[in-house]
Amino acid sequence: MNRLGNLAILVGLILGVAGGLYYSWAINPVEYIDSSPDSLREDFKSDYLTLIASAYAATGDADRARARLAWVQIADLASTLGRLAQNSLADKRPDAEARALAQLAAILGERPLPLIASPTPRGAATTTPAPPSPTFTPTSSPSPTPSPTATASAPFSLSTKEAICDPALQETQIQILVLDAAGFGVPGVKALVVWDAGQDIFFTGLKPELGPGFADFTMQEGVTYSLQLSQGVGLETGITAESCADGDSEPFAGSWLFTYQQSASP
Amino acid sequence: MGTTSRLLIGIFFGLLLGLLFGWVIRPVEYIDTAPEALRDDFRSDYVLMVAEAYLVDRDLELARYRLASLGSHPPLNYTIEAIDYGVENDINHIDLQTLNQLAVDLRSIPPEPEIGLQ
Repeated sequence: MNRLGNLAILVGLILGVAGGLYYSWAINPVEYIDSSPDSLREDFKSDYLTLIASAYAATGDADRARARLAWVQIADLASTLGRLAQNSLADKRPDAEARALAQLAAILGERPLPLIASPTPRGAATTTPAPPSPTFTPTSSPSPTPSPTATASAPFSLSTKEAICDPALQETQIQILVLDAAGFGVPGVKALVVWDAGQDIFFTGLKPELGPGFADFTMQEGVTYSLQLSQGVGLETGITAESCADGDSEPFAGSWLFTYQQSASP
Repeated sequence: MGTTSRLLIGIFFGLLLGLLFGWVIRPVEYIDTAPEALRDDFRSDYVLMVAEAYLVDRDLELARYRLASLGSHPPLNYTIEAIDYGVENDINHIDLQTLNQLAVDLRSIPPEPEIGLQ
């Protein structure tokens, strides 16, 4: 009888656990209706980042954009934005979208992201903690101060072209540095690279750690490229990976750095 | 104590354990949510971002597409909700104007006929 009783308790426990789990996971699970952007699915998160970029491109409000980015809580934000911009170009989406992402990536290098006061825990019930004050705040909004961007009226022209023989550089690259008239890097400038078998587009600002006006493109050895800025004057042709020699070491393929500067306003 | 009583006691404690595990220790995690599950303030800010972008690109279709992520209601509804939220929370005038512009333009679109109605 005692053995049968213990078995009954065990069976009861199993039935109870099963019933409890079924109720708490299937019938009445923790509801999550008040989520924050960090819990969005990856594709929605990408859309959200693109929307932040579009809003930033429209308003130029960098503080607001930084706050919005902080809610998404992505570790390597700059490279994520760069990847999104490349995907946008590959998907033939409007150039404005990739440019906006590049401009957004560029502001990340200016100063650190604000910390979120109270990040929303995952799995929290409907009673989530008080939100970090959203950008949607009752503060008077001063006139936005856009980060430097190119203007169609002042084209960029090539100021220097330098061969880079850096054995530490893993790839052979066409690097561009786009500066405004005051010498500050300009993000979101489109560059077109053309070679015999194809062409590619890239934007400045996707690697904010290297400066907002910086962009690079990986060359293949033995291929000749042409380079043109969308808002630039002139076309650079005959760009190939030049051979570099570093002392006694084996020759290696070098890179090129093209520096463009905007002419003074007319 | 009879077998039935023991069984009931087992079920009772088992249920407690199951609920504790399912609600507290390892609740259902919603890590892949959609924008429609966003909290009110984030939803309103989402609509504001759409409105800010719209003010420059004037692409109403894109704005409607973006607002459609918030659920199955007409995009205008979400914009009005965001305006209501903004009024309740005393947001700044410029943001309200931005939202209002989007609402006005969305309102100018004739409603789509409902499927099945003749």
